[in-house]
Amino acid sequence: MMGPRLDPERFGLQAVAGGLRQCDLIIVEGTVTKKMAKRLKIVYEQMAKPRYVIAMGDCACSGGLFHDSYSIVNDVHKIFPVDVYVPGCPPRPEALLSAIVKLREKIRREEVFA
Amino acid sequence: MTQVALPREEGIINQLKDQFPEAIKETKVDRARRVTITFDKDHLQEIATFMRDQAGFDHVKGIAGIDYPTHKKIEVLYFTGSFSKPEIQDLVVILKTELPRDNPSIASVVSVWQSAHFHERETFEMFGVKFEGHPDLRKLLTLDNWDGPPPMLKDIKFPEMGQR
Amino acid sequence: MTTPPAERKPPAPPITITKTAEPSTLDVSVGPQHPGSGHLRMLIRVDGDYIVSVDTDIGYVHRGCEKIAEYRNYVSNIPHLERPCIIDAIHLNWGYVLPVEELQGVEVPPRGQYISTIAAEMNRIMNHLYWVAINAGVFSGHTTIFMWAFGDRDLFIELAEMLTGARLTYSFLPPGGPRRDLPAGFGEKLTKLLDYFEKRLVEYDRIFFSNPLVVARAKGIGVLKRQEAIELGVVGPVLRGSGVKYDVRKVEPYGAYADLDFEIPTYEEGDSYARFMVRFEEMKQSIKILRQALEKIPKGPIARKAPLVAPEGEATGRVESSRGEYTVMVMGDNSDKPYRVKIMNGSFRNLIALPYLIRNVHVADMPIIYGSLDYWPVEADR
Repeated sequence: MMGPRLDPERFGLQAVAGGLRQCDLIIVEGTVTKKMAKRLKIVYEQMAKPRYVIAMGDCACSGGLFHDSYSIVNDVHKIFPVDVYVPGCPPRPEALLSAIVKLREKIRREEVFA
Repeated sequence: MTQVALPREEGIINQLKDQFPEAIKETKVDRARRVTITFDKDHLQEIATFMRDQAGFDHVKGIAGIDYPTHKKIEVLYFTGSFSKPEIQDLVVILKTELPRDNPSIASVVSVWQSAHFHERETFEMFGVKFEGHPDLRKLLTLDNWDGPPPMLKDIKFPEMGQR
Repeated sequence: MTTPPAERKPPAPPITITKTAEPSTLDVSVGPQHPGSGHLRMLIRVDGDYIVSVDTDIGYVHRGCEKIAEYRNYVSNIPHLERPCIIDAIHLNWGYVLPVEELQGVEVPPRGQYISTIAAEMNRIMNHLYWVAINAGVFSGHTTIFMWAFGDRDLFIELAEMLTGARLTYSFLPPGGPRRDLPAGFGEKLTKLLDYFEKRLVEYDRIFFSNPLVVARAKGIGVLKRQEAIELGVVGPVLRGSGVKYDVRKVEPYGAYADLDFEIPTYEEGDSYARFMVRFEEMKQSIKILRQALEKIPKGPIARKAPLVAPEGEATGRVESSRGEYTVMVMGDNSDKPYRVKIMNGSFRNLIALPYLIRNVHVADMPIIYGSLDYWPVEADR
């Protein structure tokens, strides 16, 4: 999705440029293992508020194909609150782009009703 | 179906049988290019050194453990191959040995085949097999503070597995 | 029949993982979050600008594939065993299905073999394009090749979608042969794309592979000599970049490779630039293979029906995936679920080269060496 075909920069999305503390969005793509979950929480807490989360892929949403494995975390929302879920295995890049557009609407609503 | 003669495969079996008559328990040519040799675990270092220097099998593709809880044994398989000798490059020789299930331990082949380094670590973690002489035997893949049993053993049934 | 004793070559120096640190060194953790390739942590010990040693800490994406494989039946195992390396899914699928077919005694008809070969070589090109974009491009700071390679890769993905119905995770080869035949118009579209892509490869050469910046950064860095490569047991482009001509497609031909004419690019220098060039040349060879396969493909059925159970026994099969020799052992026990599936893939076997090569190098050389090895953490962890 970051490639030239879909170009998310026109929707206001840019890959991490300066460092973790300037990021607003973390996209959790793929399976979250128990070993990685600890580090994921540390990364999330390093981001400055307001911060948003997109859970991409069936594995991040609810475990997916590997739901019965001994080493993965099935529900990412136990680690931190998730704003947008993108199902699919793997999701099409257009689906991820539409998730970013949905997130922008959600952010705009928060600013109105905050 | 006519039986095709397989001279290279038979040749390796005969070489090993001549050199280690008491250590080789069972040999089998599964098909062309696949030979399985079951040996006694105490002779691992000598057989490995012979395979590397005389027969030319210079690397290990992988080390697999297979758990048989009913027979109370764990089998360890070494998949060996050759890069340097073109005439045997297409053979895969599987060296198989049995270990008792309650305290499985075997000598490490890292001093003979350095390619076995990470494979032995993984088999130690997944099956609980101790490789004596390995320079750095510690966990590789599971959680840092995993205090559970070796995951790949058959009687370890994680409750979620197989549920729909 | 005894062969004379071969000369005993001294073994390569062992990997040293230094436990005690010198006072002048600093331990830095690189990772585990790696958006490009996958999660792995390298604990590097630096002394000024030099990396003294590296301890690789893997397992951040370990999903327990081998254990899960014992709880799924043979066909259900396919989507789940092709996901370790999602960009190279056909090879992982094929490597698993070859021993299953051997156990069950099923032979794939010739047209099915050709279709599998076409899908596999397209997958190899897609994989190498991803590699050149991320591992060679982004990790060395070269963003133009990232944009170009991803743009071209999308064209191949569209064709793969036309053939299999999915962009990345095809599940295309159940035991017995491919799921679908070549759709109408596929041959012409693929030929047009190959003509376009061949011209693009010339431009890739000019902008990246002959770029003085890239050459200066990669030549002479991370040298793996021939004997060391053999001792460490590395595979794939890493092995061929060190002068060993070993490719499963020639050593133990499967699919349609026995009837097709292609070469195995090998370079003697063993440095990172040699490994880059091996993959570049492999893309050219894949174009050649695809053109021949489209011409020579025979008519006939594409698949045979395979039973749902496999008899008792063990079978080992291997294919040449984009990262190297991919070996799978499947053990059946007269039921519809395997008793044991053991996967030996290229990334895990190449892992040993990471602490071996990243020693006494500048910190800036580390991404180049890591990128040239094309280590895919998800595949190595399974």
